Amino acid sequence: MAELQGLYRPTTLRAALELLAQDAEARPLAGGATLVAMMNARVLEPRALVSLGSIAELRGIRTLEEGTVRIGAFTRHSETAADPGLSNTLAVVREAAGQIANATVRNMGTIGGSVAFADPGLDYPPALVAANARIEMTSLTGVRSLSASEFFVDWYTTALLPGELVSAVLLPAAVEGVGRYHKLARVAGDYAIVSVAITRSSTGAVRVAVGGCGPTPLSDEGVNTLLSGAPSTQTIDAACARLVELADPVDDVRGSAAYRRQVMPRMLRSALGEST
Amino acid sequence: MKSTDSLSLTLNLNNATVQTQAAFADTLLTVLRDRLQLTAAKRGCNQGVCGACTISIDGKPMRACLSLAHNCVDASLHTLEGLETDQTLRALQSAFEQGGALQCGFCTPGMLMAARALVQSNASPTVEQVQQALSGNLCRCTGYRKIIDAVRSAAQSLRGEP
Repeated sequence: MAELQGLYRPTTLRAALELLAQDAEARPLAGGATLVAMMNARVLEPRALVSLGSIAELRGIRTLEEGTVRIGAFTRHSETAADPGLSNTLAVVREAAGQIANATVRNMGTIGGSVAFADPGLDYPPALVAANARIEMTSLTGVRSLSASEFFVDWYTTALLPGELVSAVLLPAAVEGVGRYHKLARVAGDYAIVSVAITRSSTGAVRVAVGGCGPTPLSDEGVNTLLSGAPSTQTIDAACARLVELADPVDDVRGSAAYRRQVMPRMLRSALGEST
Repeated sequence: MKSTDSLSLTLNLNNATVQTQAAFADTLLTVLRDRLQLTAAKRGCNQGVCGACTISIDGKPMRACLSLAHNCVDASLHTLEGLETDQTLRALQSAFEQGGALQCGFCTPGMLMAARALVQSNASPTVEQVQQALSGNLCRCTGYRKIIDAVRSAAQSLRGEP
């Protein structure tokens, strides 16, 4: 059996990237909420780990000059869930953070670890798509960012390239309005069966993203356009029908694909009702 | 290949500096229970779901089973064993005992650690707030009602109310 041969604890992002570049078998360790659980279950047996927990530049939430909110990759879910700056449309991200797992695990898990994991049942991915977030990735050769909808590629697959780490999540400046995250789960803290994230600005611009109904967050510019302004009942019906058509859910232990298709439009209508 | 089974490890545990050995892959839970014979934290699921291994890391309740021991060398760790004189913990223990809030007892140490964090930050938790704070701690005996009542009763006594 493979044995963990090293645990590195660098204090700068550059040092972490160098350690990962030196050893192709090394894996980055964020809060441990998923990676260590997988190691305990022997699903993963990394040869070396590079812990990101001592890197100050990866921590905390701050507002940049142009109003962009930068959430460092190592920011714990409990910090994001309690951040008063995530208000108006950005409340969708705060609400999603507060519904991940339970209070104890929220003290451990990080936003960077969560988005890099990219499980379709996670809470952050649809909230970040609805918030029009960008994911910042850093490598030894530079920094780039992609919109959340481009970042999530498939089941457990992101646009991260070898040698890159998620370094931050960038949220556009909060716009006056509402952001809500609705989650249907078997019990509090479980992965979502279906989740609906929505932002609505006070001028009526709507962005919707659905979790649990496909390999990546489900969103569609046409649907966003239909739901913006003051949509009629028929327009909302058309938007729901379009999302159900685009959905690609699976049957699993949490619910059947047919059930997911059935509850998703109901959740969307409920979320729309609360956001107006 | 160099053996990494028993690397030297120094922890700040229960207000003392503790020297022990651990492999890189050993979790804090393994070190606490199997090396240091501190068995209050329990190994239930080893997946971060059941909450039986909840301990305090830098003042916050976290999962010992999801924490690699060698990654905790800078942290201040507290287990139930180190909180004998903690007023909040004693009030909770007393309320659990008087309210019959445990049967087999396996979940109790984790429940106490999670409840302690709640009561420290919220002196008057509602039923819903207790439910939320303990939602990551599974109990297969009590049905939770008596645990919730005990936490609120402990909070009440800590507020100095009869």
